[in-house]
Order: sequence, then structure tokens, then C-alpha cells
Amino acid sequence: MDAHHARYPFFESARQAVGEAGVDLVTLIREGHPAVERGRERVQRALVAGTVEQASDQRVDARTEVLSYPIARVLVSLVDAPGAVEKYAASEATTAHERFVEEFERGRQSTLGGDPLTLDAVLREFDLASVVRSDGTDTDPTEYRVAVGTYLDLAPAGDDWRLVTRELADGWVTVTRRELYDLLERAVERRVADGLPLTVPEEIADPLAAVVSEVESALATATYPRSFDRVDPGSFPPCMQALLDRARSDEESLSAAGRFALVSFLGALGMDGEAATTLVGSADESLAYAADRLDGGLYPPPSCSTMQAYDVCIDPDDRCATIDHPLEYYAEALE
Amino acid sequence: MNQRTREYLRGRFGDHYRRVSVELPPATDRREWGYIPFTSSEGTTMVRHKSAFDVGDLGTFLTRERPRHVYFSAGRYDDPGARSMNEKGWNESDLVFDLDADHLPGVDPEEDSYASMLATCKEALERLLVFLEEDFGFDDMTVVFSGGRGYHVHVRDESVRSLDRDQRREVVDFVRGLGLEDVSQLTTVETVAGMGLKNPVEKRTLRTDGGWGQRVQSRLVALADEVREMDEEAGVARLQEFEGIGEKGATTLYNAVTNNYEQVAAGNLEAAGQYTRKLAQLFLERAVVEDGAPIDEPVTTDINRLIRLPGSLHGGSGLAVTRIARDDLDAFDPLVDAVPETFVDHDIRVDSPVERTVELQGETHNIPEGIATVRECVGVHLMARGDAEKASE
Repeated sequence: MDAHHARYPFFESARQAVGEAGVDLVTLIREGHPAVERGRERVQRALVAGTVEQASDQRVDARTEVLSYPIARVLVSLVDAPGAVEKYAASEATTAHERFVEEFERGRQSTLGGDPLTLDAVLREFDLASVVRSDGTDTDPTEYRVAVGTYLDLAPAGDDWRLVTRELADGWVTVTRRELYDLLERAVERRVADGLPLTVPEEIADPLAAVVSEVESALATATYPRSFDRVDPGSFPPCMQALLDRARSDEESLSAAGRFALVSFLGALGMDGEAATTLVGSADESLAYAADRLDGGLYPPPSCSTMQAYDVCIDPDDRCATIDHPLEYYAEALE
Repeated sequence: MNQRTREYLRGRFGDHYRRVSVELPPATDRREWGYIPFTSSEGTTMVRHKSAFDVGDLGTFLTRERPRHVYFSAGRYDDPGARSMNEKGWNESDLVFDLDADHLPGVDPEEDSYASMLATCKEALERLLVFLEEDFGFDDMTVVFSGGRGYHVHVRDESVRSLDRDQRREVVDFVRGLGLEDVSQLTTVETVAGMGLKNPVEKRTLRTDGGWGQRVQSRLVALADEVREMDEEAGVARLQEFEGIGEKGATTLYNAVTNNYEQVAAGNLEAAGQYTRKLAQLFLERAVVEDGAPIDEPVTTDINRLIRLPGSLHGGSGLAVTRIARDDLDAFDPLVDAVPETFVDHDIRVDSPVERTVELQGETHNIPEGIATVRECVGVHLMARGDAEKASE
């Protein structure tokens, strides 16, 4: 298990290294290996801060870092908060993006040693080598071409990614280097989310119960209005009204980020799963599923900046300029 | 449609299916099958959720059941015969495009003849194929005359079969040019400092390597080529023909295309101040109207859609749902080439409540009111449409 594996523990080679090392997860957990603590941090930071980077400067060793990933996957599967899996995968991907951009762009040695990662290696890792091309002989291309099927599969939401505005010729979409990195981030997110949530056997879940509740209580502390005496959709901020309309519509479906934002917002208003489903209607099955897992707003709804980052800040109005959390908007609108 | 007409058509559809062999789509046994029988009720009830196993040998099924319409799914499933989509277990879907003359701009279904609606639709099909072949570069495409009022294109390239609804909507928007409102959506922005200016300026350049940006650029280049051959007076007059371009703008543009042609041709929208951009905006609006393919969106985005089976008969026209080889498309005339051989050799007697004209087999057939003897394909067409009943021989 080397530095590459530590930085990119979702790579196939890392998974193999863990397999070959014959690590037994149960033993690791029972003995309180440092990977368990790092795994907790990984999940908690992912859900609260949107990154899986360590908070402290004291780096753990490569082996601990690699092993913290399978443990984090177990933990996030046990955390009882709607959207936790999606948010975790997105945060792993954001961190991976930062890391590989740093390596690609600066050719910089990783802080844990080893050769810098190349773009080709990442493309191969995600089976993208044959569907991403650069032009000709340029050794440092600024533009790439991505096969249109792959482009549609990986493009994030947002106007800049609309295919209709894109250069498309003979099945290839032109993207900038930065945009290619965004597509890779989505590939990472997909890889991390694959298989989650895991079905965790009791022999693993039981010894982790304390760690899981530590994560859950961290989620429950946040700085926004926390108590409301009524649910009045007419006072919802425009983003939540729009998401609610979409969720109620048969024609549109919510993005994962949109679903999470809406469900956690409703949860924060004190709605339980049944109340939320009644409000929204049952048009959206995955929303009903997420709403069923609501637990008194355990999971903090995203702030305005997070809403913007996920492209679900919709039709902001004048009041939006004065607040930075959808719940603040609601609190003011209720008064 | 009365009983005699229904039994006649059903019998003759059966004769047809005995004569021809219908080619199956790939992955036949992973698709859902459906059909509409010839029934007495007015409502059309589709029998669906059938697997290839339920249908059995297709040729035997068609000659035995003699359905009025036959469909197969764009989707491929683990269990195509299951009653609900959840139970079916979706794997992937062909990407299907539908052009329906009824919904095309410039077509009035009340006024236009069947032949002219189909001709308009074929033009739209050619525009669609430019997108599918040149922009998307698809390889595995089947072009089909629907037997009714339009054309279908089935795309089976592996790279698109797993696309979900939202991703398919992106494809729809692309071929329709939907969501393109401002030409700046098709540009890259570079911030240029200096040049004696206090503030840095934005330089917008069309993205011209394919797609809609290229369609705008080719129009700009064509106009530039035209105008630079003219003297100033003629060139300025030509440019003033464009809405929003006055004499000052036309003069600026004329100077740009004569002195700065390379920049204009490369898609530099600042080549003549605001005026290049104004022109580009006009050309974008034109491109969407002239090049866009007005496909029926729900067909393309519905991954579980049932589509008419190529090679089967369309029970509302008596014409064959006809695969068209790409090289034969130019010459293809649906009202000649989709007339089933089975129905061309005989004359039959039909009863039409009003006088009618039918264009078929390259001829115009005048049908008088009342009972008349007509070529069978004409009679079948009228009866299938509900415009005539079978008269006794």
C-alpha cells in the first residue's frame, strides 16, 4: 500500500493491495486500529465540510489512510441521515479532484512520496482511455475531445454543460482541460457511490456503533435557525419552492443534490417522513425513500453557497441577497 | 369500419404476412412486444407486455393473429414479458427519433395532401440525419418510413444505449436547437488587456468545431464571402438588409470583411464591434429554424417506448413500415415504395361516402362517391384510414 493508494483509495490497484494484504476488517475494528478513527474523520469531514482531507497536519501513514476508505464506506452506510451516501461520494470526488489536479498541473510529487499521477493513468483507471482524446502531437493540450456518450454520462448539471451549446463533431465533444477534470470528478463520484450503502453485518456494525453516533451528533450541530412552529410552503425560499414543484411534477425529476436539499430542509422544519411525503406527493420514489429516512433534521440542510455549488440555487430573489442559508430565509419570511 | 371491411383487411394482412418474411430487430428476445388486433370496438386496445417467447415465431404469429399494428420496445430487459416496468428490469434502450408530419412547422394536416406532408417530413428527416451522422457520428442507424405520417430513426450504437431520460433530452435539445437564445452561449470569452484601453475588454469567439457554433459561423462566412466580392456601395446595401444593421453598422461590417476577413471567418465576434455579434445572433435564430430537426421529444426520451416494427403493415394506411437503405433515401417515395406488393395486382370494389382523391404508386386515383372498382392498394388505403368500406364483389 503506497502513496498513490493512500491518495486514491478507490482505485482498483488500492482495492487489490488491500485484498493482497489479507486485512480483516473485523479484526481492524475490534482492535481499534487508527484506520477506524481516520475512517470516522473521513466520513464526518465529508458530510460536514465537503472534503475528506485530514483536519490536522499530523499525517497518518499510507496503510492507515488506505484502510480508512473501506472503513469509511462501512461507516457512511451505517450513518442514519438522508443523502449521506450521495454527499460522502461527492466529497470523496471533490478531494480526489483537488489532488489529481495538483499532481497533473504541477507535476508535483505527492506529499507522501512517489511519482506524480498522470492524466493517462486516471483515464485508464476509469476505462476512459479510448473515449477521451487530445489533439495531435501537443504534449500539453488545453483541449480534449470526449466521446458524446461518455460526455452525456459524466457531465454535471449546469448551463455550461448543455450539449446544445457545445462543439460536437463526428461523435466527439470538445472540452477544456479543466472541464475534463470535472468529468473525471464525476467518474470518481460514481465509483465511490457504487455499491453504497453497504449491507453491514452485525459483527462489524456493533463495534462501530459508538463511532457512528459520534458522526451523527456532529451532523446535528450547525448554525442556522433550528426551530419553527409551522410549515408554510408559501414562505419557502425560491429554491425550495422550485425543488418542491419539481418533486411534485411527473415530468421533471430532482437531481441527487436537489433531492437532498429539499428533504433535509423539510426535515429541519420538523417534518417526519410521512409529513414530507404527504407534502410532496409520491411522484418521486427516491424522494419518498429519502424522506422516510428523515430523523428530525439530523442532517443539516445545505447552505446557500452549497446550493449554488450544486446548481440548485434557483431564482434567488432580493431577500436571498441578505441571507446565507435557506432556513434563515424561511425564518425571516415567517415573521 | 364495419365487419366486412375489418374481416377483409385482416384476411389480406394475413395473406401479406404469408408472402413476406419480416426481419427481426437485434436482441429480439430481450424486448417487449405489443400489437393492436383488428377488433370491432372503436377504442384501440393494445396487447402488450409480451416477450418473444409469448409471441413465438414472429412469422407464424403474424400470419395467425393478423394484427392491425405491431410494435416492439426500444428497451431491452431482463424479463420483457413482466407486467410492470420495475419487474421487467431495464438494461438499455435504442435511441429512437420520430418525425411526425402532423407536428411539423409549416404543415396543416387539414389542408395539406398526404403526399405533400410526407415530402415536408422527408426534408426534416434529412436535417435530422445531418445531426446524427455529422455531429453525433452514429454508425448503427436504421431509417424507417413509419407507414403513417412520418419517419423513424433507430440508433443502436453501444455508446448511447445506456443513456437515461435526462441524457436523451440533451440529445433532443441538440437536434432541435432548444435552449439556444443568445449567441454568446456558443462562444469562448477571452479577457484582453491593454491595447490602449483603460479596462480590459472581453473578446468573444464562436466555438466553431462542430455543433451550432459551426452552423452560425458557416452562415457568417457565406455572407462575408458574398459581400467582399461587392464594391462598397453594393456591399453596404446588402448588409443593411439585415434587421438591426443600419448604414453605420453595414459600413463597419463591410470594412471588417474586406480588411479583416480572417478574423470574421474565424468567428471573432468583436471583428466589427457590436455588429458582428448582432449578425451572429440573427444567424443563430435562422440556423435553429432552418437546420433544426423538429422531432417528437417524448418518443426519444421514453426509454420504454414501443415502436412500430419495420416490415409490418400500418393498419391505419395499409402501407408497409419500410426500412430504407441510406443510399436509397434520396429516391425513396413512400407512396410508391411502401405499397405492399400483395395489394397491387387486383382490383376490388369499395364504397366511399364522398368523392376522394388518392395519390399512390405515382398516380392520382379519383374515387367517386358510392361504390367503385379501384386498385386493391388504393382500396386498402382508403379502408384502413376509415374513408371507405368494403363493397361486395
